[in-house]
Amino acid sequence: MWIDGLLRRLIPLIAATLLCLPVLAATEAWTELTPIQQEALSPLSKGWDGLPIKQQQHFLGLVKHYPKLTPVQKERLHKRLEAWSKLTPEQRRRAREKYLAFSKVPLEKREQVKQMVREQEAGKAAASSVPSVTPAH
Amino acid sequence: MNENLNTESIRQLLNRSSCRLQQPALARLRDLRTQALARYDEHVNAPVFAWTGAASTSLGHTVSPHRGHYYYYCAAAVLLAALLFTGTTYWQHVTEHDNSEVDIAILTDDLPIDAYVD
Repeated sequence: MWIDGLLRRLIPLIAATLLCLPVLAATEAWTELTPIQQEALSPLSKGWDGLPIKQQQHFLGLVKHYPKLTPVQKERLHKRLEAWSKLTPEQRRRAREKYLAFSKVPLEKREQVKQMVREQEAGKAAASSVPSVTPAH
Repeated sequence: MNENLNTESIRQLLNRSSCRLQQPALARLRDLRTQALARYDEHVNAPVFAWTGAASTSLGHTVSPHRGHYYYYCAAAVLLAALLFTGTTYWQHVTEHDNSEVDIAILTDDLPIDAYVD
């Protein structure tokens, strides 16, 4: 009969532990991150402690790729990370879908599209750098 | 002897007989009943495996295994809910990590992220 008593106590305990497991995974403070994590996620340092655990885990998942990146890629990552962090999960999901669809396009076509986008971006940058002139009346 | 005894007539007979009992005998019967009820509660609450069909008997009463059943159904439901909850959370966590490869590719691509964001 001792096993009955043991099971009676164990079942609720197991259930409670299972239910609490996701909750127990607490957020990680910026100061607790490793130097490589801090370097990779440096653009997010200010708002890191306020990020929800899910988002923190999402960004920590990116860090494992960081050491393999070239200096140019690292720079791009740092420039884009903040904007990426402000997107909604739905926007990120759609962006992934688009990226994956685009990566299936033949290389030649892809290069053409990339060239077009670069030209558009350059045009936008040039337009924003020209100071707006108010016409004199 | 009246052969058409039914529950109601048995109850009346028992009531009539108990009226004729002496006070000490009645007190003793009351004590025994209390003890039997206490044992009944122990039986129903203690054995976890009562539902397996081993319905115990106590002083002529068959102990209902329903409360044992109830406990098991509740425990099974809670365990199932806990497993589902933990499983879903874990799956979401794994999916997030699976996306990291695509995410790093977008974030380091030679096209700006605006090209992929609506």
